[in-house]
Amino acid sequence: MSAVEWGLAAIAGLAVVAVLAALAAPQRVRPTTVGSCTAALGGAGIAVGVLAAAGRRGAVWLPELLPLFGVRLEFDPLGGVFTAVAGAVAVAAALYSIGYTRHGLDSRTVQAALPLFVAAMLLLPAAASVATFLLLWEAMAAASLLLVLAEHRRRTAVAEAGGWYAVMTHAGMVTILLGLLLFAAHAGGETFAQLRAADLSPAMRSTVFLLTLVGFASKAGAVPLHVWLPKAHPEAPSHASALMSAAMVNLGVYGIVRVGFDLLGGGPAWWWLLVLGLGAASALYGILQAAVTTDLKRLLGYSTTENLGLVLLGVGAAGLFATAGNRALAGLALAAALLHVINHAAFKTLLFLAAGSVLHATGTRDLDGLGGLRARMPATTGLFAVGALAAAALPPGNGFVSEWLLLQALIHSLPATAVATAVTMPLAVAVIALTAGLAVATFVKALGVGFFAKPRTPAAESATECGPAMLAGMGLAAAACVGLALAPTLLVPALARAVQVAVPGTEAATTGRLTLELSGITGSMSPLLIAAALVVAAVGILAALRVFGARRARRAARLWDCGGGGLTARTEYTATSFGEPLQRVFDDVLRPEQDIDVTHVRESRYLVDTIHYRRRVPDRIEHRLYAPLLAAVRAWGEAGRRLANGSVHRYLGYGFYGVITLLVALAVTR
Amino acid sequence: MSDTAYVQLLDLAAGVFLLAAVLMLWRRELASIIRLFAAQGAALAALVAILGVHQQHPELLGVAAGVLALRAGLLPYLMRRALAASGEARETQPLVNVAASLLTAATLTLLAYAVSRPLVALAPSPATQAIPVGITVVLIGLFVLATRRRALSQVVGLLLVDNGITAVAFLATAGVPLTVELGVSLDVLLAVLVLLVLTARMRIAFGATDLDELRELHD
Amino acid sequence: MNSTGAAGAVLQLVLVAGGAPLLAGLMRQVRARMEGRAGAGVTQPWRDLRKLLRKEPITPRGSGPAFRAAPTVLMATALVPAAVAPFVTTASPLDGAADLIAVVALLALGTVTLALAALDTGTAFGGMGASREMTVLALVEPTILLAVFALSVRVGSTNLAAIVTATLHDPLRVVSPASLLAAVALAVVTIAETGRLPVDNPSTHLELTMIHEAMVLEYSGPDLALIEWASAMRLTVLLGLLANLFAPWGIATGASLTALPLAVGVFAGKVALLGAGLAAAEVFMAKLRLFRVPELLAGSFLLALLAVATSFFLA
Repeated sequence: MSAVEWGLAAIAGLAVVAVLAALAAPQRVRPTTVGSCTAALGGAGIAVGVLAAAGRRGAVWLPELLPLFGVRLEFDPLGGVFTAVAGAVAVAAALYSIGYTRHGLDSRTVQAALPLFVAAMLLLPAAASVATFLLLWEAMAAASLLLVLAEHRRRTAVAEAGGWYAVMTHAGMVTILLGLLLFAAHAGGETFAQLRAADLSPAMRSTVFLLTLVGFASKAGAVPLHVWLPKAHPEAPSHASALMSAAMVNLGVYGIVRVGFDLLGGGPAWWWLLVLGLGAASALYGILQAAVTTDLKRLLGYSTTENLGLVLLGVGAAGLFATAGNRALAGLALAAALLHVINHAAFKTLLFLAAGSVLHATGTRDLDGLGGLRARMPATTGLFAVGALAAAALPPGNGFVSEWLLLQALIHSLPATAVATAVTMPLAVAVIALTAGLAVATFVKALGVGFFAKPRTPAAESATECGPAMLAGMGLAAAACVGLALAPTLLVPALARAVQVAVPGTEAATTGRLTLELSGITGSMSPLLIAAALVVAAVGILAALRVFGARRARRAARLWDCGGGGLTARTEYTATSFGEPLQRVFDDVLRPEQDIDVTHVRESRYLVDTIHYRRRVPDRIEHRLYAPLLAAVRAWGEAGRRLANGSVHRYLGYGFYGVITLLVALAVTR
Repeated sequence: MSDTAYVQLLDLAAGVFLLAAVLMLWRRELASIIRLFAAQGAALAALVAILGVHQQHPELLGVAAGVLALRAGLLPYLMRRALAASGEARETQPLVNVAASLLTAATLTLLAYAVSRPLVALAPSPATQAIPVGITVVLIGLFVLATRRRALSQVVGLLLVDNGITAVAFLATAGVPLTVELGVSLDVLLAVLVLLVLTARMRIAFGATDLDELRELHD
Repeated sequence: MNSTGAAGAVLQLVLVAGGAPLLAGLMRQVRARMEGRAGAGVTQPWRDLRKLLRKEPITPRGSGPAFRAAPTVLMATALVPAAVAPFVTTASPLDGAADLIAVVALLALGTVTLALAALDTGTAFGGMGASREMTVLALVEPTILLAVFALSVRVGSTNLAAIVTATLHDPLRVVSPASLLAAVALAVVTIAETGRLPVDNPSTHLELTMIHEAMVLEYSGPDLALIEWASAMRLTVLLGLLANLFAPWGIATGASLTALPLAVGVFAGKVALLGAGLAAAEVFMAKLRLFRVPELLAGSFLLALLAVATSFFLA
């Protein structure tokens, strides 16, 4: 057995051990045992993923496990990258869960669902047949649903979120099932090798691509199929949110790359323009909603939509370039997209785990009620700041590196011969730019309003730092962010191998150890040197101040309060007020609902006693697209009630008549 | 066993199988319906055993033993207990009277033969030629489900459908994998248990298990 | 990396750091003269810095590490682009480390640290300044990146030295519509990023009209000195980029050290000219209402988009 096969066996074995531990361990030690076993499971995932990304092969074929088809697992570098990412996120989230799930989340179901979820995510990129893929996809959806519903007794919003999530994920599964079954039926077999070798008509290929795109895009949180994401991610417990946001949504992208590039072997340009359009819309809409929301975890959920939108933009651009024959640029764009997947996983894990610490310590997710946490939870604040820097795509963070690569791929596409490319590339660059700007504003809001200055509510005042397990999980994610920020060149060979699977004939996107030097294009950037230069400059400035400045001790003094005195937390800017200018600028897109209630003093109508201001920014897509759909379904259901008059025999009769009619029709037409 | 003996035993078992289903349409007493069901289970077990001996698949004999235990032993036992607890003895006037039911059964048999001709043509053999029997039993089971008033009769109808499907599976292929058979059996067992619990609850709530009484629940 | 490049980079740093307050003083003097006042002199900012550096450092009660660290970080994010960008030489040793996109992002990092410091004080003015500044930053990003796109299309790279060298070799490209449109767009970007009229009034005393000044209300003493110095340096860097990306003649490209003094003088002259022109134009402009600023930025975005389109379609 090769190393990869041992790894697969280890994953399966550790998953079983972890589930048994969840079912058998006594309640006191359950979080610790399950957390450690799941962390080990994640570690195995990382090992297998790295081996696969390094080019090692391994295949497992278990015919008895599934009737008719059997289970077929085979790793290639593309799958290895996604498995390694999922494994890394799982290690951080599992360590975190040791401390987080201690109060109220340590029931057997919730604890057992965690290793199942992680195992399904680790094995999905290795699926080498349609049946295996669908089995693991469904397992992933079921396990994550259990995790989302973990706190349904405490809050009523959880049930609604779980409902939306269940319906949308299964609707996506149905479309993927239809697409892949059509593919397998026309290919004459269901293993990926047979699918690759199949020869389908262009209309059938487009149908398969569109069906699977709908399902995968919904899983990746692409607009307009993203509606489950800002509902489910806030209501899930934070370690589950981190796993879902940083590992599960990536598998939507994996599906698109696997089916579109590898199995179907590329397609006409309009496919990739569609993917690019979906990505651009998701990026813009996601970050816009994140910029005006005040719920910390909803902000992070919308930020996931934004980042996956950027990834889809890169994937679409890569497809466009590949169709036009420009393999080097296609390889660069796809490498940028994969690197962004990795970077996003690192910083989104960190951000969600930190948000979970805040929720754990204060009991609230509302930024308008937080503040002052830098004094009470200094470690969490520092870790959140690292994540926010990365998410805002500023140097020297890791988000900047992948965004830079993506921009380079897009910028070097012109001058191009195809009109479609010439028109879409500038617009794509503009979308990325606006998204980046809004992301900066969003994370300044999250960090500044949520963690700095004075606490706005008693809940924030009484916050305390979280336990060592939670800090360890966050610390691991932060270390990953820093490592990815300073040394992205280490990942370039693995990314090149992964991109080779999708777009054959490409070489490594960048060369160089310290600097990312684009191969074939003049362009380079060195995150390590930039960070070093900043540090040297800062040290130099401090030294110069010491020499030239006054050698007097620092004194504390009052803040400028216009002479009125008594500055309280009431005068601080809240998240609502911070996002107000942006909300005004984008009023047409957001359509907030505002309520102003003025109560006058009893004696005079000219004097105001109190003003109540309430603003709600609903998800407009949910409002305009889904609400009518749901209303139509409800109307159809109510019309259908007329068929149901209460007699059980009539219902059974419907079934019987249906079967007989079908059989008669069969007998007659054959 | 010799070929002629095999064909004759096979046809005999299939015939008993079908006959039991038809007789269930005729009899009115619930106790005798359950006895007929047990007999059908035994016929199904015999069918599987004959197939196993002829095809020299020893595991089919094990499966036959399991089928016997479940469908001729455990399930009739559970239903007898439910019957004793409910205190009803007879099926009241069904929606379709006995004569019409038997005529319908004949029509269903013809339909089953018409539909399964392509199946049989795929691989003609004594076993596959008995497939129409299985399909007939399925259709008869559906008919029983749709036209009987008592809840227990409907449970019997569901089990007839399952018996028919199992018979077709064993006749058409060399049997289904053990895991599937185990899964299906568990499924059937659970379905019966659930239905019996529901029947008991219905009796507590309404005093009888006449399904037409449930019409009152419609709003 | 050659010695001319290293020497040039050091010269650039010294020139930008030392000349930035002079540029600020020059701009104030031009405004004063045009408004009929005598003005305080070109070296007044240096006198102010000297005074501030000697004062007692004060930290407001209730602020935290972000407030304390912001001046240093802001200054660092102004110094690194000054060393990287091709002002005096195109062969800076850090040239391969940061390209135009990275330089722009570093300047944005400086803005962000200042905004976080403002939120860290917990005052309403700080929050207001931070919120407005972030809105302007978000809306100016598309223009910046599209202008970068336009500049890099004709050169095939976003590397600063490559763009400057290409313009040196092909001077007629500067008068192409793409270049002119990109120049105008970048000029609007400079105004927005450095907080000059009509986006923000740097000399206002009314807190409710402030964007940049509201963020630094609580700073005093050496911290304020660093911030004012860094703001002047950012203006110098942006004006220098504007000058050298579109009119780079005089820059030292070769390996000879003798070209450096000429390059220093030419650069100083170009930046002074641009600064004086900007100051003169400011005299005739009034500050835009905050919610008219997005219209201005949308207009500059359109110009940048047209720059890209014409660079492709007319290339």
